[in-house]
Amino acid sequence: MQITEPMTTTKNMMGLVVLSLVPGAITATWVFGAGVLLNLVMAIITAWTTEGLCLAMRGRSIAPRLRDHSALLTACLLALSLPQAAPWWLTMFATVSAVGLGKHLYGGLGQNPLNPAMLGYAIMLVSAPVAMTTLWVDPLNPPLLADAILAFLGSSSDAHTGATALGLYRNEFAGMTASEIATYPLFERSKLGLIAGAEWTALAYLLGGLFLIHQKIISWHIPVGFLGALILISSFFAIDPDTSTPVSVHLFAGAAVFSAFFILTDPVSGATSSKGRIWFAIGVGILTYSIRTYGQYPDAIAFSVLLMNFAAPMIDHYTRPRILGRNSAIKGAGGKSWPGA
Amino acid sequence: MVKLRVRQQESFLRGGIFVEAHKAQSTQEPCTFTDTPKELIFPIHFSGGGPGKILIKIGQAVAQGTPIIECKSGILHAASRAGHITSIEPRRVVHNSQALSPCIVLKTDGSNRQENNLTPISLPLDISEIKERARAAGILGLGGAGFPSHKKWEEKVHTLIINGAECEPYLTADDTVMQIDTHSMIQGACVLASALNVKTIVIGIEDNKPAALHQIKKTILDSQADHSFEIVVIETKYPSGGERQLVWLTLGVELPSGLRPVDLGILVHNPGTLAALARALDGKPTTDRIITITGEYIGRPRNVIAPIGTPIRHLLTSAEAKFDCITDITVGGPMMGFNSTALDAGITKMSNCLLANSIKKYSIDPCIRCGYCAVACPVQLQPQQLYLALSNDNLERAQHEGLDDCIECAACNNVCPSHIPLAEWFRLGRFQNREATRNKQVAASARIRFEARTMRLDRLAQEDASKRAARREQTTDALVKARKLREKNTP
Repeated sequence: MQITEPMTTTKNMMGLVVLSLVPGAITATWVFGAGVLLNLVMAIITAWTTEGLCLAMRGRSIAPRLRDHSALLTACLLALSLPQAAPWWLTMFATVSAVGLGKHLYGGLGQNPLNPAMLGYAIMLVSAPVAMTTLWVDPLNPPLLADAILAFLGSSSDAHTGATALGLYRNEFAGMTASEIATYPLFERSKLGLIAGAEWTALAYLLGGLFLIHQKIISWHIPVGFLGALILISSFFAIDPDTSTPVSVHLFAGAAVFSAFFILTDPVSGATSSKGRIWFAIGVGILTYSIRTYGQYPDAIAFSVLLMNFAAPMIDHYTRPRILGRNSAIKGAGGKSWPGA
Repeated sequence: MVKLRVRQQESFLRGGIFVEAHKAQSTQEPCTFTDTPKELIFPIHFSGGGPGKILIKIGQAVAQGTPIIECKSGILHAASRAGHITSIEPRRVVHNSQALSPCIVLKTDGSNRQENNLTPISLPLDISEIKERARAAGILGLGGAGFPSHKKWEEKVHTLIINGAECEPYLTADDTVMQIDTHSMIQGACVLASALNVKTIVIGIEDNKPAALHQIKKTILDSQADHSFEIVVIETKYPSGGERQLVWLTLGVELPSGLRPVDLGILVHNPGTLAALARALDGKPTTDRIITITGEYIGRPRNVIAPIGTPIRHLLTSAEAKFDCITDITVGGPMMGFNSTALDAGITKMSNCLLANSIKKYSIDPCIRCGYCAVACPVQLQPQQLYLALSNDNLERAQHEGLDDCIECAACNNVCPSHIPLAEWFRLGRFQNREATRNKQVAASARIRFEARTMRLDRLAQEDASKRAARREQTTDALVKARKLREKNTP
């Protein structure tokens, strides 16, 4: 029987994660304009509607699941990952995919083998590649409210969008030396010497993430494993600054910090033991670096996370801790296979 | 010369949880005797042992200490007060199942008649004498599991651990034993230690029982015992009093999976059991036990010395319980105990606590694999994976994940943000597992029997056939001879 109110409830955990996204969301709005907020609103409304509809179709009670904040969290994570000048339909379809295909298709909360937000992101990246790669707001020239609303309504103008740092390294910097690249406005006008705009959001997400670790909502294993792997591998290849992307760009451009604390830490689709979580995160780090460097996409978190989600059950098989009283840990799969597996 | 060493724990509990102890409530009033109830109820079934043998007849007058039931392990259970047997009938018992079970009902007469079939034994004692006495006096583990104590004394042991951790919240029964019955406890431990040739007596006690600790130290130093004692003060953290956990915390020995402490020469006993043993050697069978009555619906929470078989309702009344609030009562501590609505059932030797609290109902959410339970697990299982296996009805998989190593401490229940009753799942899984194993054994022995029978029948049929063939041959021979004879005689 349960005698004490546990440290936290599932609902509070989700709520706290949403809460710790607030500094990041505010910073992102400040840096990239109101498009971020419009995305958030659109995603949240769509997520709640989809969640309600799916639950109704599955014949489940709707109220308790809507109250547990899980759809809200998926919506927020997805909205903050999407391009800031995304039109409404992009956000909407991404959210429908995330909640409907990513979660309810597999049986709802706790049953999804893949990270719903990243699944929604990846589906849109495959189905609407142009929108997903060209609508990133240039932090040096963020749109005003009216322009942001226009972009949201779908009248695309490239006045306020530009290539991201990772995109620049991928497509434009071939043959340029490090000193030439440093004169690029995105790097030259940075306040912290990293990347203009993106550095602030990364730091804000870091703040939120540290709060989550302090609250014991997430464990340190995942951020440390992921960022550690990314830093190690990118600094190893960054020996020649003229031909490779520097560590700071790998770390502060794109979604690395955000993902380290908020995306990879989804407990449902990730590995479950502490050791397993480290391996899971290292795997995502290596894949992220590989896809960013050798793949077709400038950023790679979504695909890396999804690929490692597939590997999570295997990681769990091989990282079971040693049960006290046994000589060694039980490794590998065992027992009869899962029903339907 | 008595040797005593007091030290802090040197090994630490992996996992475990800090829970609010709620122990102060029941220790404010001194421990007292309850008044004798009108009726005492003794179930004739004992945990796992099957029905015991009834040693009395309906209508028979019994004294305090008259054996009334002999259970499968040979232990004699005594009537805890004088009176006469009114009936043997199905009653509700203190058990998870809430089922009816045959019970002996004793109507007390308030007299002080005592049965004197056990004579005090003087020191020094042989272990077989102690075993026999423990059996006759009805000694079993008073900590809650009720394991027949004398069965633990078969192996060669080198260390005796007194489990004074009492890590369950609310419980103060062992604490009380260690404070008011210290002398008997130490005496019981010393006798056992001498008979079994135990080198050290280790007392594991949580640091939230300073009064008991002081009393034990004093008693040991005052005693004439020629043993070396070691008191290990351990951090208050649930479940430090689990047998395996305590062995680790006090001796730094990690018990191999599937082995009991006795297999490594370590004997673990509850303080109450040792005190009861000392009394048994004095000629007094176990007829009473100390039980904690506590909880928010109890007007006067405290420990009482109650006759075995006292109805729960009687104890609750004497503790001024608010009956209109109580729907069911937790027997045996909030973590590992169980809820029972059978307020008229009699307490058993294993009942160490009656807890009347409001039962909180939580809505159960789906598991999100947050892993809090894995951090809390004192055996380092992955409860979330075990739960997944069991909820998919996959016993083999659950066993692979270490179901057999679960100690059912329920630490995982108390950290689960989704309020999943994990320990109940594991308890059920372990039960199903045992059933499956037993069924397999039954099937295997049935198969062996069947094969033997088939072989026997085959053999008999063969023998029969060969006999018949031999007889036929004989007859044929005789016929042939007869015919030849006839042919010879007829020219």
